[in-house]
Amino acid sequence: MKRPLLKGFSLIAAWVFLASIAAAQDKCLTCHETIEDKPSELFKHDVHFSKGISCAACHGGDSKAEEMEEAMAPSKGYIGVPKGNVISQRCATCHSDSETMKRYGSTLPTGQWEQLQASVHGKLAVSGNEQIGQCTTCHGAHGIVSAKSPSSPVYALRIVKTCATCHANASYMRLYNPSMAVDQLEKYRTSVHGVRNAKGDVNVAECASCHGSHDIRTAKDVKSSVYPTKVPQTCAACHSNADYMKSYKIPTDQFEKFASSVHGKALLEKKDVGAPACNSCHGNHGATPPGVSSISKVCGTCHALNADLFSSSPHKKAFDARKLPECETCHSNHAIVAATDELLGVTSEAVCSRCHTGTENAKGFAVAQTMRSLIEDLERSVAHASALVDDAEQKGMEVGEAKFKLRDARQARLQSRTMVHSFNEGQFREIVEPGLKTASTVTIEANEAIEEYFFRRIGLGVATLIITILAFSLYWYIRRLEHRQSHDR
Amino acid sequence: MTMLLRKLYTWIDERVQLRTLVEFLGKKYVPVHRHSVWYYFGGVSLFLFIIQVVTGILLLLYYKGSEELAFESIQFIMSKVSFGWLIRSIHSWTANLFILTAMIHMFSVYFEKAYRKPREVTWLTGMLMFFLALGFGFSGYLLPWNELAFFATKVGTDIAGIIPVIGKPIMVFLRGGEEVTGATLSRFFGFHVAVLPGAFTVLLGIHLLLVQRQGMSEPLGMEHAPPGEKKVMPFFPNFLLRDLLFWLIVLNLLAILAVFFPWELGKKADLFAPAPAGIKPEWYFLFMFQTLKYIPAQVWVVDGEILGIAVFSIAGILWTFIPFWDRKSARGEQNRFINYIGLFVVFYIILLTIVGWLA
Repeated sequence: MKRPLLKGFSLIAAWVFLASIAAAQDKCLTCHETIEDKPSELFKHDVHFSKGISCAACHGGDSKAEEMEEAMAPSKGYIGVPKGNVISQRCATCHSDSETMKRYGSTLPTGQWEQLQASVHGKLAVSGNEQIGQCTTCHGAHGIVSAKSPSSPVYALRIVKTCATCHANASYMRLYNPSMAVDQLEKYRTSVHGVRNAKGDVNVAECASCHGSHDIRTAKDVKSSVYPTKVPQTCAACHSNADYMKSYKIPTDQFEKFASSVHGKALLEKKDVGAPACNSCHGNHGATPPGVSSISKVCGTCHALNADLFSSSPHKKAFDARKLPECETCHSNHAIVAATDELLGVTSEAVCSRCHTGTENAKGFAVAQTMRSLIEDLERSVAHASALVDDAEQKGMEVGEAKFKLRDARQARLQSRTMVHSFNEGQFREIVEPGLKTASTVTIEANEAIEEYFFRRIGLGVATLIITILAFSLYWYIRRLEHRQSHDR
Repeated sequence: MTMLLRKLYTWIDERVQLRTLVEFLGKKYVPVHRHSVWYYFGGVSLFLFIIQVVTGILLLLYYKGSEELAFESIQFIMSKVSFGWLIRSIHSWTANLFILTAMIHMFSVYFEKAYRKPREVTWLTGMLMFFLALGFGFSGYLLPWNELAFFATKVGTDIAGIIPVIGKPIMVFLRGGEEVTGATLSRFFGFHVAVLPGAFTVLLGIHLLLVQRQGMSEPLGMEHAPPGEKKVMPFFPNFLLRDLLFWLIVLNLLAILAVFFPWELGKKADLFAPAPAGIKPEWYFLFMFQTLKYIPAQVWVVDGEILGIAVFSIAGILWTFIPFWDRKSARGEQNRFINYIGLFVVFYIILLTIVGWLA
């Protein structure tokens, strides 16, 4: 036990000794300490100082020269305080060079400079002279410490404030994107992530967890980790990691469920960026599960009519009283599949039958039964009419008008599925019955077209027969006539 | 019955001297030889033209020649009007068969050198009627105001616009503006039902009068044969009845085509929609369209398309005025050079039409 401890102390002592020698040789620091300026004070806590890197590494000049004029001579490469892109270029001199970084015993990646340049912060600032963000914008200048150090401005518990320095500044953000929100920090503090972060949990998501650090891109950029189609994977990086999420005691199968859902398929397979991702329901910076009584409002941001119908239906009150999550009760949450007619009615697979039976909540039972029967009637009628119209069209008949009407019947079919959410038979019939009537009209018209097709065939047969008989008669007459004429001659 | 007909005949004869006409027809003979079959294509073209006039008048009862209503009115004719589908389908099929039979008639006259003196004017009126028939086809194609027709008209009038100096004014005149719009439709409707039929009827009258006055042309070499060796057939009733038999066969063919292959209406033209792929003109313009596609953009210092149009125009003029430069045939001598040109033209049109169709 004693030996390793002794070895550790010896190493620390040697490191301190070497650092002090280096500091002793850095005449820049020696002079600046005497004038007690802030940079020299801060630099003594800087990770670069501890690695024996002198001020000259960034500022240029000769750190070993005794005289100030000589140390700070431009001929010695002195540049004073680096300005604009020179700041980041100075950092990149070492941080983009893997050999140099290895020499200092660093295991940090060396692509930060390239990533920063390609990021949104690498774009030109309004001044037009430099990029928007430099390394020092987030990491500071003379007191740079490891990102894992609690005193670092990019430490998990401090980074949100660092980002907010600009992103919560409306006047500043307006210069670049006037429509961009500046309340991310405020929302974050209300989120589950933000609340835990504020309590000192360094494992919960902060800005860089989702947006990245050096390679931050706008959410509209397809390469961004928060581009709509990438959001589920970004969230899943933590939320699907069972080990990582163990202490939070929440499920880790959301991504699998979402990927198999109607939303997930639209977003991840069809790349439909209009389809919802995690943040569409949970919020992004203010991410939190929606409350039981507000689910219909959340789903209603897209399914507006369904949500309105549900909110004004008798189910709203009943669900709230039983603390049933609104849409989720029937449709589930992450694993939402395309709704089928089987969900409606009183059969074993129908969701209505979970609460309504012939004896319990019997009125709803009867309504569910009728609605299922009506919706199936409409489905059958539309399918039958559609098949007849296709058949007539295949036969070359003009059924443009019937096809147009069929669109109305299909529209009624769609609307009826929305109208289910009123849970009101009268309202439901108002949609279904005109649909049934239209489907019936289309069926009649399509049947007439098919009958007409056969009539034409028969008509053609008769006409052809008559014309052929006429032609043959004429031919026979000509032959007889010419035969007679040749006899006469 | 016979008595009644005889009385009617006498009644008319007393007023318009019908006997003279019957006597004229009775003395009219048609030469009989191994190429006599081609004589019937003139008659069948006339028959198809009559069908066009009748079905066209019937379509006029319902057709509305405006951008907003043209497509819908054809849709109405095809789905609501009793036998409207048949009338429209026959009108469309007859239009194509008419061009085909007129073409066959023209080439048969060409190869028989029937245009030679004294039938130069008959040939000229025939050629003019053929050009008018192409005009009928081009203007009628736009009338349903569907997508294919719209873009084909756009391409067709664009080609007219390429001609130096007069091209642009012609294009603007045809379109009724810079672009193909509802104004073009109204204009084409006017050409199709008033201007072209008027001109065609006058030419047809002259053409038929000349054919009746001059009789059928005999092949070269036959006209100098002794009268005893010449085989002939009375025009009335023999030739006329044979004509009638041919007409009945064509009528049967038309009925089958109209019922089994009803003319499609397609999608309504959308002025702002992009042109669909594979826009092609009607088959009788296809060989020219295909040729223009093969000509390089620039041939020496001349624009490729202009060169193509110039070549077709010159060829068309030479073809039309052949009675005036084929002196050998006019003298009654065989002219093989004319046959070779004709064979080349027929082969070229067939080949390029097939290539264009398959492209």
